[in-house]
Amino acid sequence: MFGATLVLALLAAMTACSAGSSVSVPPDPDAISIGFTAEPANLDFTRTDGAAIPQALLYNVYEGLVKLDADGKIVPLLAREWTVSEDRRTYDFRLHDGVTFGNGQPFTAADVKFSIDRVKTEWTISLKSKMDVVERVDVVGPAHARVVLKRPSNNWLFDMTTRIGAMFSPSGVADLATTPVGTGPYAFATRKRGDSIVLRANPSYWGRKPTYTTVYLKYYKDPTALNNALLSNGIDVISAITTPDSIGQFETDTRFTVLQGTTNSEVTLSFNNAKAPLDDKRVRQALMYAIDREAVMATVAANRGTLIGSMVPPTDPWYEDLTGLYPHDPARAKALLAEAGKQNLWLRLRVANLPYAVSSAQVVASQLADVGVSVSIEPLDFPAVWLKQVFTDHDFDMSIIQHVEARDIVTFGNPKYYWGYDNPKVKSLLAGADTGTPEQQVTAMREVARTIAEDAAADWLFLFPNVVAAKKKVTGLSDNLVSESFDLTGLGRR
Amino acid sequence: MTTAVKRRTPTLTAGAVLVGLVVLVALVSFIWTPHDPTRVDAAVRLLGPTGDFLFGTDKFGRDLVSQIMVGARTTLYVGVVAVGVAALIGTPLGILAAMSPRWLGEFIMRVNDLVLAFPALLLAIMFGAVFGASTWTAMVAIGIATVPSFARIARSGTMQVMSTEYVLAARAAGRSRLVIARRHVLPNIAGLLIVQSSVSFAIAVLAEAALSFLGFGTRPPTPSWGRMLQESQELLAVQPRLAIVPGIAIAVAVLGFNLLGDGLRDRLDPRLAGRR
Amino acid sequence: MILALMRRTGIFVVSVAAASVAVFLFMAVLPGDPAQVALGINATPELVARTRAEFGTDRPLATQYFDWIGGVLTGDFGRSYVTRDLIGPQLADRLGVTLWLVGAAMVIALLIAVPLGSFAAVRHRKLSGTVISGVSQLGVAVPAFLAGILLVQVFAVQWRLLPSGGWTPPDQDFGEFLRGLILPALALGLVQGAVLTRYVRSAVLDTLREDYLRTARAKGLRPGQALVRHGLRNAAVPVVTVLGLQLTTLLIGAVVVERVFVLPGLGSMLLDSVAARDLLTVQGIVLVLVIAALLVNFLVDLLYTAIDPRLRRS
Repeated sequence: MFGATLVLALLAAMTACSAGSSVSVPPDPDAISIGFTAEPANLDFTRTDGAAIPQALLYNVYEGLVKLDADGKIVPLLAREWTVSEDRRTYDFRLHDGVTFGNGQPFTAADVKFSIDRVKTEWTISLKSKMDVVERVDVVGPAHARVVLKRPSNNWLFDMTTRIGAMFSPSGVADLATTPVGTGPYAFATRKRGDSIVLRANPSYWGRKPTYTTVYLKYYKDPTALNNALLSNGIDVISAITTPDSIGQFETDTRFTVLQGTTNSEVTLSFNNAKAPLDDKRVRQALMYAIDREAVMATVAANRGTLIGSMVPPTDPWYEDLTGLYPHDPARAKALLAEAGKQNLWLRLRVANLPYAVSSAQVVASQLADVGVSVSIEPLDFPAVWLKQVFTDHDFDMSIIQHVEARDIVTFGNPKYYWGYDNPKVKSLLAGADTGTPEQQVTAMREVARTIAEDAAADWLFLFPNVVAAKKKVTGLSDNLVSESFDLTGLGRR
Repeated sequence: MTTAVKRRTPTLTAGAVLVGLVVLVALVSFIWTPHDPTRVDAAVRLLGPTGDFLFGTDKFGRDLVSQIMVGARTTLYVGVVAVGVAALIGTPLGILAAMSPRWLGEFIMRVNDLVLAFPALLLAIMFGAVFGASTWTAMVAIGIATVPSFARIARSGTMQVMSTEYVLAARAAGRSRLVIARRHVLPNIAGLLIVQSSVSFAIAVLAEAALSFLGFGTRPPTPSWGRMLQESQELLAVQPRLAIVPGIAIAVAVLGFNLLGDGLRDRLDPRLAGRR
Repeated sequence: MILALMRRTGIFVVSVAAASVAVFLFMAVLPGDPAQVALGINATPELVARTRAEFGTDRPLATQYFDWIGGVLTGDFGRSYVTRDLIGPQLADRLGVTLWLVGAAMVIALLIAVPLGSFAAVRHRKLSGTVISGVSQLGVAVPAFLAGILLVQVFAVQWRLLPSGGWTPPDQDFGEFLRGLILPALALGLVQGAVLTRYVRSAVLDTLREDYLRTARAKGLRPGQALVRHGLRNAAVPVVTVLGLQLTTLLIGAVVVERVFVLPGLGSMLLDSVAARDLLTVQGIVLVLVIAALLVNFLVDLLYTAIDPRLRRS
């Protein structure tokens, strides 16, 4: 009845100034609530893909031998120290004493062997192949584990900082989907599906005790609802703002601090390199010239991202500025399309139905229309349908998705990966980079980045910004998102 | 007291004007819009109302007026197909239920009740899961969910007509049921069906908006009022205009079809004047 | 009377059975092997086969159906392929949230509709009555999610009086629970109230025209008094019917409001499960929603008979 009156009144109220007192701050100073957009399907990252599970659990509940610090450096965690043999195939890890799992079991070298071996036998997610390079694990002593690789690998130790390297106890893997057991500073307490996960400080933690003893990880499927939760004092931190146009609201409000940095998330317009018409390099290059990436970033990320030009974020050692390779040049795009005989192109752009992807798709479609390429946008339910139809069945011409994993440029060495890019030169460069010295690695990786960009293997639209907004009282958040974890261990309080 | 109701129907006029407005805007959009409604231009994003952009632009730099105009097309398109599906399936079913043997009529109406248990939103989400969400799945789902209302109206209307003297006479003269249905029943219940169409249209417009809001409706970049609302949500505090304009458009269309339905009901059946 | 009751119960049971078959078959035609989907792309064929056997999706459809429906009858909806959780307790939990929301919205709708609708009917030829009818027409035209978005913006974001979303269970903190329920219930209830107002008005108008009310008025009662003393019971019949139909719409209509306010109800569970292609869960949710709708219709039928003695005879 009063629906209309209500709407009018509300509109009037909205134009009025935003006075009012704040209420409902969680009374417990030792508790903190952090808002996220993607909720874990379950808590088992050994069998379920998706970034949300390690985001919540890695470094917080599960720990590995090593971790990635805020600057992207590999630092010790459960391993006190480690040595690498002359031939760079044998790693000797000395473990911390007095480490126990959440279920009370002590952590020893036997658990290292169990965890690494288990990746090969029981894990099913695509990342498990990163452990293939391990030949065997020896238990030298209770606090001394030795890992022998089949060949030298620069990537392996880095991968050990990801979920692949998480340490499990044989007594704690019975029900990983609902009861994770790790050595971390926090233990899983409860979860309310569709709402939150609660972590509590692990009283017997071996390292520095965390500041906040209770952490609420709150999940808001809708990014606007997440923003509103912080604005209305419902939570303390937004882990990552995914609607960049709304960041201004937090910057102008004295209650909040806003941190902005980079991520590993390349917003990628992927091409199906293995299927006509995008198996033709000229067509792919034409698309590259047709797209104005500055306009894409301005529209989708309110100009807050970083233009990259290849699949390397500026935080990686082999970063090189390749953004000048394909300037916005519609005339050249049309010429290339004419040369390839593909003037009346119709392409299916099948994207994840996530805000940034659907927005980017509309900008890309409009720009491609300017050079005579018609695009049909199909948003697919993410993750299930996108993973099935695009990622697994390769049923697409173009797609848009954030590739969030660190150093995922190596996927261009796998011709079976969904973008179907098959270049022997890149494959051998990647292999050389993995086995070579660190200097050789940098040179080879730089070459890979340039080659795939010149081949127009994909269009890296921009690097998504990492924007964290938090109440002023919260300290210890980092600008850059370099690992797959939302690391709670450094958080403090003013 | 019952006879005192005025035959002039301001409701009908108001409804017709509003619906006419929406239809007119949609028709004009085929020939002319101020700007290309899907063309993205980062240089003019989030502009306030100006001479060039009467309601301003959205975060893609697209003209709001042009989007509303083409969005009217989407709205009408969904409404026409949904109501069409519902009327074409529901009406024959209802007539059949009224004219056939009692057990068959009863059976049809029980199945009808069963369909009633699957609301439009639920059906559309299920269809979206199987076929991939699109304008089509939304329209068909809304249409199927609306079948029962048409079947019910058609059945009760037919039952009344069947008991009239001229139908009894026609039956006595040995006219076949099909002929009776076509010559006598359909013309007499047409008014009821038109009223129902108008009311169902309003419901379809609301359902399409909700589905587009949830991501189960019209695909981008085709302009849709529901999706305009969804895309503007993050900017509500900064640029409320982006949500208000499509919100008003939806309200105008729904109000128009509801008023039109009410007005027609009053006009066609004065005994019911003042109802609903 | 008893015969009619038995007949209606029979129809209800048959309808539920038919609905369960429809829902099951609908899910069965969905593309994709649940075991493959659950395990991702790197699973070995042996593991997929093992999981398929574990899920029981390697058996004939009929066996699967009877196994599923047999479980459902004892409250066991199976274990989700994606979350590996038992679905039954989840469903109960989520349904609880949605029922609170829908219940509160219904109360709000009735509190608005009954007084205003009756008032508009009694004064239907006066300006105040016309204004109420007009405003209710406008209210019907506002989508619930728009009302929700605006409510959040004003009461949560600008004035910070109420939470912008989220759910506190009533047994955990009742005050917080109520505060969290207000805005979503208003978003859903105001629009429903507008719809209902129109029905109440027309039902009351019809009743006012009945002979016995005219008699009552001839005895000197004012229209309002006559209505309250004699008419409300009769006006209730069509209103209850509409209320029943609305309850069905509200149960699923809540999905939009649950999304805006991030409530862990049945609607958001449905959307999440669809997005994750968690089919067994979707199947369970749809069945619950459909049974709820059928049950409401059944109860309305019964109530109808109880309220209106004339209907008992027919």
